[in-house]
Amino acid sequence: MLRRHFLAGAASCSLLMSGWAHAADTIKVGVLHSLSGTMAISETTLKDAMLMLIDEQNKKGGLLGKQLEAVIVDPASDWPLFAEKARELISAKKVDAVFGCWTSVSRKSVLPVFKELNSVLFYPVQYEGEESERNVFYTGAAPNQQAIPAVDYLLEEESVQRWVLAGTDYVYPRTTNKILEAYLKSKGVAAEDIMINYTPFGHSDWQTIVSDIKKFGSAGKKTAVVSTVNGDANVPFYKELGNQGVKASDIPVVAFSVGEEELAGFDTAPLVGHLAAWNYFQSVEAPENADFIKKWKTFTKDEKRVTNDPMEAHYIGFNMWVKAVEKAGTTDPDKVIDAIVGVEVPNLTGGMSKMLPNHHITKPVLIGEIQADGQFEVVSKTDGLVAGDAWSDFLPESKPLKSDWVDLKCGNYNTDTKVCVGAEG
Amino acid sequence: MLRISKPLIILFAIVWSLAGSAFAQSADVRSIIAEFATTKSFKQVEAVVEKLGATSDPVAAPALRALSDGKLKYRKSDGSVFITVEGSAGLSLIDPVSGEKVDSSSAASSDFKKVKVKNSLRRKIAAVLSGMTLQSKSATRRLAGAKTIFETSDASALEALDAALTNEENAEVKEVFLDARASAILASDRTERAKLDAVDRLAARGDRAALSLLSKFSASTDGALKEKIDGAMTSVAAGQAVWANAQNIWYGVSLGSVLLLAAIGLAITFGVMGVINMAHGEMVMLGAYTTFVVQQFVAAFAPGLTTYALLFALPLAFLVSGAVGLVMERGLIRHLYGRPLETLLATWGVSLILQQTVRTIFGATNREVSNPSWMSGAFEVGQMSITWNRLWIVLFAMAVFATLYFIINRTSLGLDMRAVTQNRRMAGAMGIRTSWVDALTFGLGSGIAGIAGVALSQIGNVSPNLGQSYIIDSFLVVVFGGVGNLWGTLVGAMSLGILNKFMEPYAGAVLGKVIILVLIILFIQKRPRGLFALKGRAVET
Amino acid sequence: MITKTGLSPSAGLGKATRIFIGIILVAAIVVPLLNITLPADNTFHIPDYLVALLGKFLCYAMLAVSLNLVWGYCGILSLGHGAFFALGGYAMGMYLMRQIGTRGVYGNPVLPDFMVFLNYKELPWFWYGFDQFWFMALMVILVPGILAFVFGWLAFRSRVSGVYLSIITQAMTYALLLAFFRNDMGFGGNNGLTDFKDILGFNIQTRETRATLFALSALFLALYLFVTAYMAASRFGKLLMATRDSEARTRFLGYRPEKVKLFVWTLSAIMGGIAGALYVPQVGIINPGEFAPANSIEIVIWTAVGGRGTIIGPVIGAFFVNGGKSLFTGWFPEFWLFVLGPLFVFTTLYLPKGIVGTTTEFWQKLRAKPAEILPEAPPQAAE
Repeated sequence: MLRRHFLAGAASCSLLMSGWAHAADTIKVGVLHSLSGTMAISETTLKDAMLMLIDEQNKKGGLLGKQLEAVIVDPASDWPLFAEKARELISAKKVDAVFGCWTSVSRKSVLPVFKELNSVLFYPVQYEGEESERNVFYTGAAPNQQAIPAVDYLLEEESVQRWVLAGTDYVYPRTTNKILEAYLKSKGVAAEDIMINYTPFGHSDWQTIVSDIKKFGSAGKKTAVVSTVNGDANVPFYKELGNQGVKASDIPVVAFSVGEEELAGFDTAPLVGHLAAWNYFQSVEAPENADFIKKWKTFTKDEKRVTNDPMEAHYIGFNMWVKAVEKAGTTDPDKVIDAIVGVEVPNLTGGMSKMLPNHHITKPVLIGEIQADGQFEVVSKTDGLVAGDAWSDFLPESKPLKSDWVDLKCGNYNTDTKVCVGAEG
Repeated sequence: MLRISKPLIILFAIVWSLAGSAFAQSADVRSIIAEFATTKSFKQVEAVVEKLGATSDPVAAPALRALSDGKLKYRKSDGSVFITVEGSAGLSLIDPVSGEKVDSSSAASSDFKKVKVKNSLRRKIAAVLSGMTLQSKSATRRLAGAKTIFETSDASALEALDAALTNEENAEVKEVFLDARASAILASDRTERAKLDAVDRLAARGDRAALSLLSKFSASTDGALKEKIDGAMTSVAAGQAVWANAQNIWYGVSLGSVLLLAAIGLAITFGVMGVINMAHGEMVMLGAYTTFVVQQFVAAFAPGLTTYALLFALPLAFLVSGAVGLVMERGLIRHLYGRPLETLLATWGVSLILQQTVRTIFGATNREVSNPSWMSGAFEVGQMSITWNRLWIVLFAMAVFATLYFIINRTSLGLDMRAVTQNRRMAGAMGIRTSWVDALTFGLGSGIAGIAGVALSQIGNVSPNLGQSYIIDSFLVVVFGGVGNLWGTLVGAMSLGILNKFMEPYAGAVLGKVIILVLIILFIQKRPRGLFALKGRAVET
Repeated sequence: MITKTGLSPSAGLGKATRIFIGIILVAAIVVPLLNITLPADNTFHIPDYLVALLGKFLCYAMLAVSLNLVWGYCGILSLGHGAFFALGGYAMGMYLMRQIGTRGVYGNPVLPDFMVFLNYKELPWFWYGFDQFWFMALMVILVPGILAFVFGWLAFRSRVSGVYLSIITQAMTYALLLAFFRNDMGFGGNNGLTDFKDILGFNIQTRETRATLFALSALFLALYLFVTAYMAASRFGKLLMATRDSEARTRFLGYRPEKVKLFVWTLSAIMGGIAGALYVPQVGIINPGEFAPANSIEIVIWTAVGGRGTIIGPVIGAFFVNGGKSLFTGWFPEFWLFVLGPLFVFTTLYLPKGIVGTTTEFWQKLRAKPAEILPEAPPQAAE
């Protein structure tokens, strides 16, 4: 029985290979986003965005004279399956680059695979930093490209004195809150004026926490909530905020994981004025953005379909990869990794984003207020682009670390001891 | 909320325009408002708002309110400023000063640009408005103005307040004025005597807002006044602590109702029929999606009835989920009676299919199910705040429970159901068509899950994963309460809800839940068949 | 009286089972050999990708076999077996984390990266000893074993059975899931443990290490099958099945079913733990997701699809379902649930005894005279 199974497995595998062999004149791009399970809610959009980008590129004549071909797999929100599918994409389906992952754990799960098989991954979501790998390009925001500017805004514009740091209990909120706590203390905020609260994934009963926030906010000092609450839990959270009458003018909530896509899930009228910090909003007025939104709506055949920040990250990442491949004249990962640093492409907010030697990119930071129509209105924008910093300066352990894949060829070079600690090229 | 304010704005715009004609400055106001069209930054907008405030002319109020609501726009072509109301055919324009409708039938919103606002500006506008509206004809406007003064402790508004107080006749408004006055006095340079009285006034309110104000002033005062304030704070805080317990029980009851709603369908399909129905959560999800579809449909074809869309959704959700349940029972589960553990496998398969079907049809992202106005906001009972949607859900859960209890215990279908569960062969021998009773029972359980979905769509996500998030809790509630006993499900859900809410402040949301799970595991050791165990022969089968 | 049920057609160390174990043992040697020695363009070369995949399936098969021991032979439906698997995996993961040493991103010789970044100053007490392989090996057995023993001792003594037991096993794994999600627990929270470097000094990424792990998993699976077959054929096995088929009658005959159950439950948990320990170095990550109740339900599904109460059924089920999942998620990424879901429905309706059970029955029917056909199993008390 088992042998028959082996044979069947081997046979089907070789069958698959031969199936792809005829299409050897295309360049394959892997798309590794969950299409089922808990993360499908966020990641499906990114799969569609990648299909659109690849489609657009093919209309422009493809790449290196070849057509691009998207290879889609479904890792089903299952982290070990992410690693398996990554291996399948790279070694069985022979893709030249992979665009994918959303959660940190899925990225951590596929990392060893990309290192071992030497391929490239473009990761489009804001994350906790503290990582820089030769095979990964981080096109989402690092903490210094989202959290710190948002807190600065609240400090200056709203003169906030008391802070609630509310988040889902996983590594991104933990790290972000740790960085913010250190940052706020450096700005003279007392420890008793910071309340940190963690909730499980998909938390749905926010009555107690919202009431705690109200209580914390009635100490006679201006209070704000910095929310790193993840995806699914946001809808009940905001509904509870709205119903319990937490108004933006009293206790503003600034969120790092709530974008247009999340707002599409509920009525935002009671939430007007609450904030979010991103590197892109659909409402930004720029010709590239208008063009992108139009194409997106045509591609999805849905006039109401919204765009969001991680989509822009894929837009930037994909165009950077295309430019790097053209520059290198090949899709060979080693050559692309060398060629891509320094590549500049337009982002959707009217600027030019650049790939840095630490494999992060430069982005503007925008603060937006929620509007009644489910969009954001930009109320603040950094003057220039902010360079993504892999290793936070506000964490004592990572302060001396530096990442540079051009000169140092190292992801975590310790500037104190002058050694490359772990991630070497 | 916005839906209400649109007609209100128009109404008050008219009122103001009548009042405004008496003021010679209205021309002046008009020219200031026109400046909004040339603002480039928030700072400039703020400057214009301040200028309007300096006129203290109530004629400016509608424009300021519209600005705060994001409805003040200017025409790109000529820079004229209007209050705009979004309609199906585009924008309808209202003159910001006269409040008259501007005769311009087709105003495309792309021709207009919004005057941007942000939170700090909104606060500024509220402060400016409060001074202008204290003598307004409308009680609501006067209240809003006084509340702003109360919250901001605006000492400069004292004179206006005193003047307004002498004219005020409405007792309710007068109280709020006095509160606002107390708050403003504490921030002013009035005598210590007046301030001590003000503290008494605030302490008498006993609410969180008063506590917030008192703690603000506690930091900036000293001597007898500080002592007085601190004493008042202690008494207010003590009162709050007592109410906090009541509030916590309410939270527990409301969480319990959610658990009850999620579990009650399962109490039928699993509890009464013994089917380990892993697709139960998907029945709830179908109910929620039915609500979404009904709301879309009503919004498109009968916009006047949107507030009642939920009521239409209830029977439809029952029918949709019930029909799916019926099909499941006829096509699948009836082949598996006597093999309950295998129903787990089959229904798990069904749940995968249903999830993916919904994902294919509606997409993987959340769908918007809006709360009708009667389910938005909150009201106060003593120092306790009760949100309308939670209240309705508690009442609804009780109603569903009562109905189900009635069906099972007082109708002939219920009698048949109980007969078939207790002794299938005997029931068959008595002439009951057991297979139809099975089908109807399963359909009923699924339908109930569907209407639970209507309620749950009001507080959470409507996504293909909705069912998955309730399924484990539902099974725990039914098992904890005792399989086959409706009262068990009710008591089980309520006690888990309340326990959870009392645990949460001490242990945090995650650890609290872990502790409760461990407690349930230990509890089952003590009572291996749940809170309300069935007695008699049924136990052994 | 103990009725012989149709659920255990291949009880005992029959010829078919022996052949099957033989095949697995051969695969343990041949697959790695074909992978390492042959060049990539040879027809019989097995690519690395397939070895990793099959290695993973072998661990799933081990887990299914251990679940089958309690469910198929003793009637205890555990909806929390994933917990034992994950605990074994965490023990292995902790050992692998300690092996990283100064090669972590912060270069801390003692603390794993996630602890450095959550401000741990020293190693929590429960991480002591995990730098030793023998200690880890002991923990892989002890942690799931003790948890199962305590849980089982409580549950079986107070005669919690049937769905009640199933649901509280689910509550157990759910509680562990939530607990391990907490970063304050000191197990790396949602990200779990990852970025392993080497095991017993061998680089975990090399083809040879992976082939060795594959062979080890195959050996363990063969051992598990042997244990199951041996036990099923023994006197103790009869007692197990008696407990499954009618606990009350077994008790009246003077046996102590709770002791029987406790023994086999604890043994099964330990087997699950070892499967987890072999799984982690092959997939390179362990995180709380393994505790998810849905994962435990999947284990039940593999066993049911293959044929519960048969010796080789769970192995077939694990390979069949997971193989299907791997292929379908690549072939029809957007519609694979439409294939998998109906598959489960189909199995329950038309293959009630699973693939192996139904095939065996079919063969027996063909060969046996009509009179010898086994009677249907009576309704089981455990359900």
